[in-house]
Amino acid sequence: MTPVIEVTGLTKRYGDTVAVDDVSFTIDQDKIYGLLGRNGAGKTTIMSILTAQNFATSGGVRVFGEDPYENARALARLCFVRESQKYPDDALPHHAFRTARLFFPNWNQEIADRLIREFQIPTKTRIKKLSRGQLSAVGVVIGIASRAEVTFFDEPYLGLDAVARQIFYDRLLEDYTEHPRTIILSSHLIDEVSNLIERVLVIDRGRIVMDEDTDAVRDRAANIVGDTAAVDAFVAGRDVIHRESLGRVSSVTVLGTLTPADRDRLAAQGLDVAPVSLQQLFVRITQSAAEKAAASEEGALR
Amino acid sequence: MSRTLNVVRMQLINRQTYIWIPLIILGASFAITLAIYGILLTAGVDTAKFGGGAQAPLWYFLAVGVQALTLSFPFSQAMSVTRREFYLGTVITAALTSAMLAVIFVVGGLIEQATNGWGMNGYFFALDWLWADGPLVAGLFFFVLAMLFFVIGFGSATVYKRFGALWLTLVYVALAVLLVGALWLVGRTDTWVEVFGWFAEIGSGGLTLLMVGATILVGATSFPVLRRAVP
Repeated sequence: MTPVIEVTGLTKRYGDTVAVDDVSFTIDQDKIYGLLGRNGAGKTTIMSILTAQNFATSGGVRVFGEDPYENARALARLCFVRESQKYPDDALPHHAFRTARLFFPNWNQEIADRLIREFQIPTKTRIKKLSRGQLSAVGVVIGIASRAEVTFFDEPYLGLDAVARQIFYDRLLEDYTEHPRTIILSSHLIDEVSNLIERVLVIDRGRIVMDEDTDAVRDRAANIVGDTAAVDAFVAGRDVIHRESLGRVSSVTVLGTLTPADRDRLAAQGLDVAPVSLQQLFVRITQSAAEKAAASEEGALR
Repeated sequence: MSRTLNVVRMQLINRQTYIWIPLIILGASFAITLAIYGILLTAGVDTAKFGGGAQAPLWYFLAVGVQALTLSFPFSQAMSVTRREFYLGTVITAALTSAMLAVIFVVGGLIEQATNGWGMNGYFFALDWLWADGPLVAGLFFFVLAMLFFVIGFGSATVYKRFGALWLTLVYVALAVLLVGALWLVGRTDTWVEVFGWFAEIGSGGLTLLMVGATILVGATSFPVLRRAVP
């Protein structure tokens, strides 16, 4: 696979705050990525720097092998849909779409028209008077219809109802299947997008804490449920990231793929294995990273 | 180049900002001025009357310059436009609207001269000192003044976007200090008469050239500031 984006040692500082901390990763062509992280983790900052809207404090970014800054050739192949995009004051939705058609060489009017209909975007209302959901829909239409070689969606669903979100996921996947391209989707609704994304990038406080194929991630952890004593015996020495107990029953989330031997042992002891959803895994991993960080800070203070 | 021209089309989404409001301001101040001339005429004032209302839309160009940045820069970034393309396209848009006003100004002035001040000996466009070097220089003067107001608005908005309100204020304080310093110098060297004489001597043509220089200076300074601005 050819990388379309290469990030090496990317750091962004705002005064004393480090928003992005020495991050390195690559993005391959024609894959759907999930960029997951809590609020303020640095997702938007990274995407802004990749599209030359913001500037790195240090480190490098390569898009199609080039520096994207002031580079019309590289930028024309990118589309970045932000959650809080501003539009010209007088603009009606069709002004925004017509302008996007001018700037994105692969723009497809048919899919745009279809999405406008499906999202029921009012065409005669100024964008600044649209509801939050309709505003998001305008961004989604631009993101999908631009068919840019690399498209970034930064939490594109804000205010969209469940039906509209499903339309977004379905149309994105359909159009991606017909016209493969690279898509980077940042989202808080992890379980909703987990079927869509092929590779997961998890960012926590400016650092990449996970960069793996979604399928591999699903295997990476398991919930062991059953009698507390038996569960404790099984998880001893394993990497436990979460523990819940109710009476004599415990549910413990462990990292690491279960071997066939593990599964035999679990079956013999009457313990159940439940899959861990991507969202659960994300929550557990960021929580345990936060605890470790807090612990090491305390250690440093002593 | 076509992407730069597309920026012009993007800017002109704000048709109200660029076209209708300047036209309304000009039209309204023209109508009001003529009404006053009419009142004066019925009161028996038949000497030549001159009004400065044609400058009204020029002040508005400060606001146009500000809005060209604040309303359209973030959207242009979402359209994957480079800052250079945005800058050039925006300057072209400003030149187009300034030219539109300048043409109206010249045509209005020519009509005024031909109709002896709308038959009322009242002048709104054809001000004597401005038209002394002919309609072309007068139109150019109007065009350049509109551009100057525009780049001042645009430059201020760019400094604000990049560095914030504090730095914008400091820039203006520094400019005011420079101006006061210049006034002090003129007073100290007792050359007020020479300075006024010089301004009278260069006339509207020379003043236009001075404003061209100021426009280029302000416009060229705002580009490096814009180059590192974040939407």
